[in-house]
Amino acid sequence: MDVGLLGQFVVNGMMLGMMYALVAVGFTLFFGVLDVIKFSHGDVLMVGTFAGFSTYLGMTAIGIDNAFIQLIGVLVISLGSMAILGAVIARYLVLPLKSAPPLNTLLVTLMLGTVLREAIRLFYPDGSNPKHFPALLPTDSWSLGSFTLRSDSVILLIGGLLVIVGVNMLINRTRLGLAIRAVAQDEETAKCMGINFKMIVLLTFALGSAVAAFAGVMNGLYYNEINFGMGLLLGVIGFSAAIVGGLGNIYGAILGGFLFAGLQTLGAVALPFASAYKDVFAFAVVIAIIAWRPTGLIAEKTSERV
Amino acid sequence: MAQQQETVLTFRGLTRRFGGVIALNKFDMELTNGQIVGLIGPNGSGKTTSFNVLTGIYEANGGSIEFLGQDITSWPAQKVYEAGVARTFQRSRLCLELSIFDNIMIGNHKRLNHGLLFNIFQRKALREQIRENHEEARKLLKIFDPALADKMFDPVGSLRMIDRRRIEICRALISHPRLLLLDEPSAGMTHEETRELMDDILEVREMIDGLSIILVEHEMGMIERVTDKCIVLNFGQKICEGAYRDVASDKLVQEAYLGGE
Amino acid sequence: MTQSLKDKLVIILLAAVIAAFSITFIAIEEQVEIFALLVFAAALVLGGAKLGITASIAQSLARNERLMNFAFIAATIAVVFWFREDHFPLLMIATVLLYVIACCGLNIQFGFTGVVNFAGAAFFGVGCYTAAVLGGTSVPLLLVIVLGGVIAAIVGSVLIIPVLRTRGHYAAVVTIAFGLLFRTFLEVNDTLGGPQGLGVSGMNLFGWDFNNNIEISENLEISFYMNYVVLALIMVILTFVLMRRIERSWIGLNFDAVRLDETAAACFGIDIKRWKIVAFTLGNFLAGTAGALYAMMLGFIAPSNFAFSDSLILVSIVLLGGMGSLWGTILAAGLVVLLPEKLQVIQEYRFLIYAVVMILILLFRPQGILPRGLRAYIPGWRG
Repeated sequence: MDVGLLGQFVVNGMMLGMMYALVAVGFTLFFGVLDVIKFSHGDVLMVGTFAGFSTYLGMTAIGIDNAFIQLIGVLVISLGSMAILGAVIARYLVLPLKSAPPLNTLLVTLMLGTVLREAIRLFYPDGSNPKHFPALLPTDSWSLGSFTLRSDSVILLIGGLLVIVGVNMLINRTRLGLAIRAVAQDEETAKCMGINFKMIVLLTFALGSAVAAFAGVMNGLYYNEINFGMGLLLGVIGFSAAIVGGLGNIYGAILGGFLFAGLQTLGAVALPFASAYKDVFAFAVVIAIIAWRPTGLIAEKTSERV
Repeated sequence: MAQQQETVLTFRGLTRRFGGVIALNKFDMELTNGQIVGLIGPNGSGKTTSFNVLTGIYEANGGSIEFLGQDITSWPAQKVYEAGVARTFQRSRLCLELSIFDNIMIGNHKRLNHGLLFNIFQRKALREQIRENHEEARKLLKIFDPALADKMFDPVGSLRMIDRRRIEICRALISHPRLLLLDEPSAGMTHEETRELMDDILEVREMIDGLSIILVEHEMGMIERVTDKCIVLNFGQKICEGAYRDVASDKLVQEAYLGGE
Repeated sequence: MTQSLKDKLVIILLAAVIAAFSITFIAIEEQVEIFALLVFAAALVLGGAKLGITASIAQSLARNERLMNFAFIAATIAVVFWFREDHFPLLMIATVLLYVIACCGLNIQFGFTGVVNFAGAAFFGVGCYTAAVLGGTSVPLLLVIVLGGVIAAIVGSVLIIPVLRTRGHYAAVVTIAFGLLFRTFLEVNDTLGGPQGLGVSGMNLFGWDFNNNIEISENLEISFYMNYVVLALIMVILTFVLMRRIERSWIGLNFDAVRLDETAAACFGIDIKRWKIVAFTLGNFLAGTAGALYAMMLGFIAPSNFAFSDSLILVSIVLLGGMGSLWGTILAAGLVVLLPEKLQVIQEYRFLIYAVVMILILLFRPQGILPRGLRAYIPGWRG
């Protein structure tokens, strides 16, 4: 195969892997502190992307057209608003159902995902059609033979990496991270030690949702197109990635994300049938992986007492 | 009587680990026909774990379990039950939204016909089976509490703790097991209720021929009154075995309970 | 008046009121009137509940189950007969009936057994596509309906291993992924018509063409949808009998035990895998049969009918009615299918509204509008 094409596949795969990993980190954080799966996570990502897009439109409208300032604005608004949304969801939908059967939490967040999706489709101006997301990053490119590396791809990858490293540092090096880990380890003991359980849960959901919003903006900047249904696919794949890595484990989530993107890219390159089937293939891989390792490659903590 | 000496259950070097923790360490024990054995020890000493390994919920990491002459060490929970071992749970595990009758019938699984065609098309025979089993469950429940026997179609969730315990024991007994495992039956009950339940258990033993019982219990009055022998576990290891009187005065046992450093 | 006579009168009166309400609701077109009727009905039900009237009606119903079943079937027939010449109302009624069958399937799966399935629309769709593909061949069409169910069950068996090996959330993702896969597959597969979909030939039973109006006399021409309504009603009755018999047998008990506590169930010999497989297969079978007849009735199907949101609608019906509650499922299917058809304002917003209603239900009334009662093995018998 042509080196240029191969390089393109590698960059593309890494970009996908980074996005999946960012989504998976959110799932893993939520599961860590509360043992719940928030199925609306992908749709929060989508809403975050639309919030960023609106910010861009708004800034353009009032005459700010410096791409760098626009980018900062998009990120601040998108991440900030999703952090708030994440905390609100945790406060009013997830925490009240803490003692209900897990199925109810699952259903509530699934339905919330539908609410978010439909709200954008119905109430965002012309929301049912895809939107053109602006290229806010410099697009110089370097050529290496037949392979072209664009600077925006490099910046996005570095940005994603920084976010993941940042989250990891936050979890492992700060007092907040210590509290989150304590709650994840044992809620009762953490409470006894004076940790404000509710506050930690809300902060964790805010953090995970902001990370998802980042992944959404990244997605928009890379593909230059966003639509109201984008969260569903990213959510399902991100969740599978989190499972593959073992829920509750950040490294596992990152590993799972890249593994998944690798498989998907490999499938696109190696499989004879047309690229039309690439999503079919992706979902088949999700099913196969969960069937193969239902509790992940890095085992999840088991909490059932008999 | 020769039958009295028949061995029902034997553990040989039974071991179970959770990660680095050894929950059960080379546990040996023997239980004969009709015997009531008390299993005591501090929290986390491996009492419930031994039940879980015996009933096939956990796999054993070492050693063997022999029940009525068969090696059942790696049998799944379903097969262990079929062989004649029934249990109750430390945290009562009844289906609260189902009726008393439903809950007891769950325990009667091996004596019911579960064929799809039988259940869907042979309604007459099914109704006959339902009526017969209802009568039997009623009789059993009456031993514990005649009032309960009249509430067979009430949801279990509406009952008091002691009644739930009774139903759990009935669920375990309805299939005529050879071995009954009682995991802290007195948990969450008052002194008076514990006494009542103890009387019930003794009465049941009288009634069912050759039923052996292993009782995990913190309530020492109960252990003293009903058991034929006691086994004390600490950190997964058997530290003492014998009649309650001897065990209670054992120095090692006292240390284990008082946390002798 | 004796108690039993009073009970019987109450039931007949109730069935008559329900029939009259349904006819009015389906017949009126004016949006304000429809809205007023709904508010009136809601007030009646809430007021009745406050005064304890609904509770005493429920007791009358429970004491005379056989009569209740017949009274409700009679009420349905009355409604259907009223609209004998009108295409659209009959189409709506048949759609409700077929949704009831599909949701009964879901009820076996997660109402009874706790096996989640968020790909209900996909299994319904397998039935639809079976009808589309086999409809043109020489296979008898009644058999095609059965085959729709069988093929849905077979397709479902692909998911059995992941569903058995996983619980709760994981199984949910498996089925969501399958539902998305199914739709994407249909959209890119040209032999199955791609995004444009396929035409389906209508039902034909022993030479009786379901797609022709029935001319009784010069003045009376019965809508061809009547054929489908009658067949769907027969299927609903069969499904209902099957569901009741399952629920009131040891099978139903095993299902409940698996749902409520797998560990305890295993300790009493209940084969968790066996009952999950039975429930999953049977549920998909029912969804498939409903789909097959639905496709024949519409005459045309496309992938967009089987989106994730359609699966969520099926789940919503089960939840709204009350998990495992048969009458609840029927009531909820009626509400969920008919409301957006009648209230044009909400048509566009229906997914959004359903999702919000489901969140409220889960937070404030998780047992649904007509909660499932305790198992009465033999009606009227309490030992």
